[in-house]
Amino acid sequence: MKQLLTLLKPRYLAFRKGRSGKTAGTRNAKLFFMGTIGLAFWGGTFAVFYRILSYFQRVEGFGDILAYKLLSMVLMTFFAMLIFSSIITSLSKLYLSRDLILVHSMPVPAAGIFLARFLESTVDSSWMVIVYSLPIFLSYGIVYRADIFFYAAVVIAIPALCLIASAMSSLCVMLAALLLPAGRIRSVFIFLGMILFLILILAFRLMRPEQLVDPDAFASVLLYFRSLSMPASPLLPTTWVYDSLRASLMGDLKGALFHLSLSWSFCITMIFIAFWTAGACYFTGFSKAQTAPEKLFPVRPGHNNRSAYSLINMLPGPVRAFTVKEIKTFFRDQTQWPQLFLLVALITVYVYNFSVLPLEKSPIKTIYLQNVLSFLNMGLAAFVLTAVAARFVFPAVSLEGEAFWIVRAAPIPVRTFLWIKFFVYYAPLLALAEILIVVTNILLHVTPLMMQLSTITVFLMVPGIVAMGLGLGATYPDFKSENPAQTVTSFGGLLFMLFSAGFIGLIIILEAGPIYTLFMAGIRNETITSFQWLWLIGSFLLVLLLCILAVVIPMRMGIANLRENF
Amino acid sequence: MITLKNITKKYGPILAVNGINISVARGEIFGFIGPNGAGKTTTIRIMGGILAPTEGTVIIDGIDMAREPEKAKRKIGFIPDRPFLYEKLTGLEFLRFSADLYGVNNEEAFREKAEGLLKMFSLFDWADGLVESYSHGMKQRLIIAAALLHDPGVIIVDEPMVGLDPNGIRIVKELLKDKARDGTTVFMSTHSLGIAEDICDRIGIINRGSLIATGTMNDLKLAAGIGEADLEAVFLKLTEENDSP
Repeated sequence: MKQLLTLLKPRYLAFRKGRSGKTAGTRNAKLFFMGTIGLAFWGGTFAVFYRILSYFQRVEGFGDILAYKLLSMVLMTFFAMLIFSSIITSLSKLYLSRDLILVHSMPVPAAGIFLARFLESTVDSSWMVIVYSLPIFLSYGIVYRADIFFYAAVVIAIPALCLIASAMSSLCVMLAALLLPAGRIRSVFIFLGMILFLILILAFRLMRPEQLVDPDAFASVLLYFRSLSMPASPLLPTTWVYDSLRASLMGDLKGALFHLSLSWSFCITMIFIAFWTAGACYFTGFSKAQTAPEKLFPVRPGHNNRSAYSLINMLPGPVRAFTVKEIKTFFRDQTQWPQLFLLVALITVYVYNFSVLPLEKSPIKTIYLQNVLSFLNMGLAAFVLTAVAARFVFPAVSLEGEAFWIVRAAPIPVRTFLWIKFFVYYAPLLALAEILIVVTNILLHVTPLMMQLSTITVFLMVPGIVAMGLGLGATYPDFKSENPAQTVTSFGGLLFMLFSAGFIGLIIILEAGPIYTLFMAGIRNETITSFQWLWLIGSFLLVLLLCILAVVIPMRMGIANLRENF
Repeated sequence: MITLKNITKKYGPILAVNGINISVARGEIFGFIGPNGAGKTTTIRIMGGILAPTEGTVIIDGIDMAREPEKAKRKIGFIPDRPFLYEKLTGLEFLRFSADLYGVNNEEAFREKAEGLLKMFSLFDWADGLVESYSHGMKQRLIIAAALLHDPGVIIVDEPMVGLDPNGIRIVKELLKDKARDGTTVFMSTHSLGIAEDICDRIGIINRGSLIATGTMNDLKLAAGIGEADLEAVFLKLTEENDSP
């Protein structure tokens, strides 16, 4: 026990020192900012669930079935998120962290190291899920007027779910480290990404959300509700947690205790199995992981890779140097792959949903609906782009890591370095955004005016979003981070998402009014007045100005910070 | 070739470098020694254009680092004390990256030069391996090879021998001497006093941010008031004197 506490101490001390290292003013400002955003999100989740559950309760007969189905789906989603996050965290904590060499040199058994790392990994991978699941359970408790036992059941059941997910993930990771060839441990990320890709595609395909707006699809309501009230597999940990929460909501104390006991006994068994497995094979796997990592697609010796970059070869030297470096580093970093697969899956689902929208069955006039959807789609695509930029563009400067000295010692100004990065990310993101917009507009059969408007607006917005990601990433870089991709959850990352969302919202608001006027005038065959023209031109000039400012200001901030402070 | 005029660097209230003035001639090897935390790395980073001084000027081959940093940096081959590199590039790719950055555009010349350097530093067989698979010493050798790729007129090197095996140390020593003979100026910080004594034409001793002595071995012996002594004895004497109140 003492050993375990000693192993956990550095993490605790680093956390405390990290907090006290900043000045009180900065710390309070950041805490206030992050706290406000967190609280807003927390409050929003509570409000949405409270409203949904209140509405369900008013539906005589089926309300409870729907509410319990929702609870089961929420638990299932949380469990999937916990598993996914635990696999990534435990792989990094058990096999890839920089301090592992030092820890393994200490006179501590491998199983002890495993236990300390397992606890750290469980906390890291589940704290956010726990925090954001609380408003959901709170809304259930309030709507169903649950007594204290329900809240106690939540507090007892959710940690069990987190520990089960973490123990299962660490077991999988330990087995993968044993089975995968030496130097290939990072390939776990690729397998994980592919599995996630398939699950997402299958899940969305099987849900067929388009049927929700197609009344013909509900041929048999009875069959539908019967499927809703079917219990999930009794072998799933989420089923035990679900059963215990449901029983406690209904006041069935005995039933709840039985299912809680099931959860915790399985949880303790899983931790024991993981601990025992760690004693038997964690060190062997760790030792294997210490060999040199291999490239997924090895370069043949003497092979002239330069031909593959023939277009890039035409660029000036420094631009070529950073472009090639950026592309190669990105694709060789296997930790990026799950996110890439996830991105492709989400885009596939996004586009697919547009292709199956039964607009002709909607009671609203089709041409109107098509164009309204196209307008909303513009904002939605920009938000998708913000998410992509938050994951890939924002950490781009931090990814330079300790090798940033190379940039500072190189005979190119920081300005050039940052602008090269800008264009490296701008080109694929512009292509992605335009493809998304054009394909979805084609599927929606929008008018040529809407097609032109969306492609031009997206063309103007992408540089702003990329520049905000990169500029704020350079203003708040973390060159010492073990996992720079996580910087997106930092103060700077949140600032970027907030600014980007505000920027997209402003553009949409500025364009919405004039475009509606223009569109309705076209439908009603009316002429546009001089005032309307003035409004139209003024709005679009403001959009243009906003897009220019969104590029110039963050890039200048980033350049100034890198030049002066690093 | 290298002129440091009144270089001062403050980190908040801490004075890391205090008004250093040094001039190093073409073809000279200048050794920069001092205890841990004396300000060696800070001075070297200021010379390499990685850090901006709080006060003072760095002139490289007549070019002011503050006014024309890119032009000045093009003259320098910079070798840091810790070999942080782009781990996902291969050794050869990193050399190509450096060549592109420093304007070595001729493909044939690059291949010939890169091959020669990789062979010299015993990295040729590892040229297509990822940098992340290299040992500390191999990364250090790769950084030295990359710094020499564009034939710099000035080599600024911070602790060049850290992590190198005896063969590596011998190669680097010979290389620096050869380069100096060909007119390259070398500014080298080191803790290996034997190496400094062996290859440096002049030595500067820095302590608590200030340059406390500079000159040839004989000049330093005179300053320390020691007759027949090695650099270690001179170093200890001068830094002790400087430390005493």
